[in-house]
Amino acid sequence: MLPDHAVDRLLENASIVAKACKTNNVEQWDIVGFQSYGHELDIEAGKITLAGGGGEGGFGVRVLEGGRFGFAHLVDVSGAERAVQQALSIARKSPVVAGFVLPSEQQAQEVGGRFDRDILDLGPEDLLQQADDIISAVASADERAVVTGGGVGVSATAGCLMTSEGILSHGLTTSHGMGIQVSLDVDGQVTSSYQGDSSRKRMKELPSCIDRAVHWAQITQNPIEVESGASETPVLMTSEGFSPLFSMVVPPAMLGEKMVREESFWSGKLGEIVMAEDLNIVDHGLLEGGFSSGSRDAEGVPRQVRPLVQGGRLEAMLWSTRDAAQQVAQGRIEKASSTGSAVSSSHQSPPSTGCTELQFTSTQGASSWEALLERMQDGFIVNSVMGAHTANPTSGDFSVTTSTILRVEGGEIVGPLKQAGLSGNLAKALQSGVHLGDDVRRQGSYSSGSMHLPDALLMNGLRVNPA
Amino acid sequence: MVMAANPGSPHTPSTGRYLDQERIGRALDNATQHGATYAEVRLVAFTQSSVAMRDGALERAIPGQELGLTLRVLADGAWGVHSTTDISSLSEQIESTTRLAKAVAARRSSGDSPVGLAEVPILQDEIHWKSKLDVRHTELDTKMEMMNELFEGASGHNDVVSIRTGWSDEHIHTELLTTEGMDRVWSFQRSLIHGMVTARDGSDVVSYRTRHGGQGGLEVIRECDLMELGENAQKAALRLLKAERAPSGKMPLVADRDLTGVYIHEALGHPCEADLVAAGDSCLDGKLGQKIGNELVTVVDDPTMMGGYGAYPIDDEGVDTRAKVLIKNGVLTEYLNHRETAHHFDLDPNGGARAQDGLHHPLVRMSNTMIEGGTHADLDALLADIEYGVYACGSRGGQVDTGRGSFQFAAQEAWLIENGELTQPLKDVSVSGLTLEILQNVDGLTRDAALASPGFCGKGQTVPVGDGGPIMRIREALVG
Repeated sequence: MLPDHAVDRLLENASIVAKACKTNNVEQWDIVGFQSYGHELDIEAGKITLAGGGGEGGFGVRVLEGGRFGFAHLVDVSGAERAVQQALSIARKSPVVAGFVLPSEQQAQEVGGRFDRDILDLGPEDLLQQADDIISAVASADERAVVTGGGVGVSATAGCLMTSEGILSHGLTTSHGMGIQVSLDVDGQVTSSYQGDSSRKRMKELPSCIDRAVHWAQITQNPIEVESGASETPVLMTSEGFSPLFSMVVPPAMLGEKMVREESFWSGKLGEIVMAEDLNIVDHGLLEGGFSSGSRDAEGVPRQVRPLVQGGRLEAMLWSTRDAAQQVAQGRIEKASSTGSAVSSSHQSPPSTGCTELQFTSTQGASSWEALLERMQDGFIVNSVMGAHTANPTSGDFSVTTSTILRVEGGEIVGPLKQAGLSGNLAKALQSGVHLGDDVRRQGSYSSGSMHLPDALLMNGLRVNPA
Repeated sequence: MVMAANPGSPHTPSTGRYLDQERIGRALDNATQHGATYAEVRLVAFTQSSVAMRDGALERAIPGQELGLTLRVLADGAWGVHSTTDISSLSEQIESTTRLAKAVAARRSSGDSPVGLAEVPILQDEIHWKSKLDVRHTELDTKMEMMNELFEGASGHNDVVSIRTGWSDEHIHTELLTTEGMDRVWSFQRSLIHGMVTARDGSDVVSYRTRHGGQGGLEVIRECDLMELGENAQKAALRLLKAERAPSGKMPLVADRDLTGVYIHEALGHPCEADLVAAGDSCLDGKLGQKIGNELVTVVDDPTMMGGYGAYPIDDEGVDTRAKVLIKNGVLTEYLNHRETAHHFDLDPNGGARAQDGLHHPLVRMSNTMIEGGTHADLDALLADIEYGVYACGSRGGQVDTGRGSFQFAAQEAWLIENGELTQPLKDVSVSGLTLEILQNVDGLTRDAALASPGFCGKGQTVPVGDGGPIMRIREALVG
């Protein structure tokens, strides 16, 4: 899957862009490059429908002159000269950010577990076998169940960062992912569930997402009648239901720029209790095997393990070099410096500030699923929501819809609802009465990085509005 | 190194085309010799630019050129696909991609039908939708001036704490060569300006987004009164500061043009995508020809609607585009198709294949989707007989579960309707429902239908779309 000397070839091309920077007498510059290769299979209507593969990549170049920056991206390095000149002309039209200079070289810690040589040996035939196994596993779990979407994929990516300040970082990462949409059509009543798992390492066994998808398609069949009308009620959310809302609302609230611009519901609350006093959030930039961790951030600053909320108290905010310099220059904060939190979603955009591996834990300990149900007594379980992307990150308010919702009475599940609205304010809901499940799942994020969230979360103060 | 070439490099002849037709022709012949029944090479080159400003100062401007190419091979009734940014490596991938397709086919059970493609006209031509003002020749200063107009309109109130403005434009150039002899080249452009006004009153923080754009060049932005766009966004943000939370429950809903567009996109458009129908993931499976909505409802998806953000001249399988009537007077009349689904359902292809870029294979997608106008004169006529309900405006996006037929969309702002009058401003309004119920509940449409703000649609791949319609009344919807 990965060509020989992939990193060397990437570095050679980055050097061509670097040469163009030097030729144009660019004061400071950084270049990010990546090249990924992979295989993937699509599954639809219970069968493999398409097998694909290939590679893509490119370079982004950021130039800096007297605190002004410009950026351009390119695929073909024969256009490096033009890209650098474009970036320079943009920099000259940009406002000066006093004190903005690119970071210098600092010792960084290696982070393991992000590359698995076994994945490189996986070919299309292996994936075909894995897809067959997924289809068979779903049929074994419930002969009525059909995989109506999803697939399996592997990839290997060579990446590099090269800067005028002597930072040269490069390496290889791998990933293996599976995701399936399972549908159950019983007498015209269709229920479905999407679940997925991914890892930096080769997944030799079928992951638990297969069983979860079948389970949720099954358990939401035969909806019960529930009186319409909104009510405030405890809600037990699975990790899959909670994570999209959490990712829309919580990570952006901890960005330094948003905090000092008063665009975060936690603005002005540094040092104050903002969540229930047993709750902690840590951004673990050095997490072994992480999807967003690594030895350095997108500007070359060493990644860190940064506690953000400890015992419910907001203790820190996240900064990239540029955001920190800009907000200090504009007088919104007296002092700020990079927390190793620069992220770059692709070669097509310059670094911004973001989370890496957010871990959400409780010092109260965790509870089993059964214990959480017992604690809730009467309420609802929600496994997925529609419209999480419409949540308001500046206020924490959200109003979403769910079709995977179960009614709980006396600590027992009494049946599914066809559809319901779910609304509330996530920031407020996290302030008290939050209880975490005893397993942790990695989830992707709408904003940046990954999140490591409990498999279940019991919350109060949310409104459920059965259809 | 896997990298692509620019026109004028050794990879391309001096025709202005990226692909060397002769060389690609030989590669496609090679695919046929290895057992492919069909193969295509589609290349897409984007010349794009995005700009972000904050409070009138430039935050970032990003010019870029992206190029990708996808080889798609149909062999023994199954697909093999290879995507790359490296034009020169293509020939090496023919054999392995054909082998891949055959490996997929070998796993097909006896009950599964092989993939086939509906026949389409085989054309060799070039179609270029020229913009009056080409985005590739628009200077950064011009873009910043126009963004500042929007900024000026939105600024000037103490409660407004931040104004972000954004710009994006792109020139899209596509080349398609197939074993059937198709050799088509097409290009067009899109332009978009947007803004977000954030206002604060004590601890209450609200944001309002606004957008204008469409298919075309700078002229698309020039036709808009940007000062007014900014002023309206400021007014809306300030209204939101005073707005109450929306009531919850089932009630009459009136939706403006923006929300009507999102509603029809989510509730009907997605379930009409024939790849989802064929996958068993649409609530409209088997319902062609059936009455699924109120007879007031006629819905069209039209990529030929010039100026719409979802317009394109040729689909990504080289099929000429045309308007598709999805619902005619409440009856489901047509699915959105690409060649594979058209063959599967024995229907005529209707040019619904779209790919995000050159590195993705085509899926069935919407373009410009609209409900046609009805009989009510205006908003007041729709409100007149509502005792208690909600008037919702502007979209914050939506989502659909096509299999279950349930959907959700969120409004930017809203008003309470009491005894036929708009009273209290509301915020955080979302609406949900079931496609097959709510299409029956549309009971009023104003006469004037038009596209609303441009949007983006995600389905594993993101593509620009246009949505719209008239102002619409739904007898009963679940408001959250």
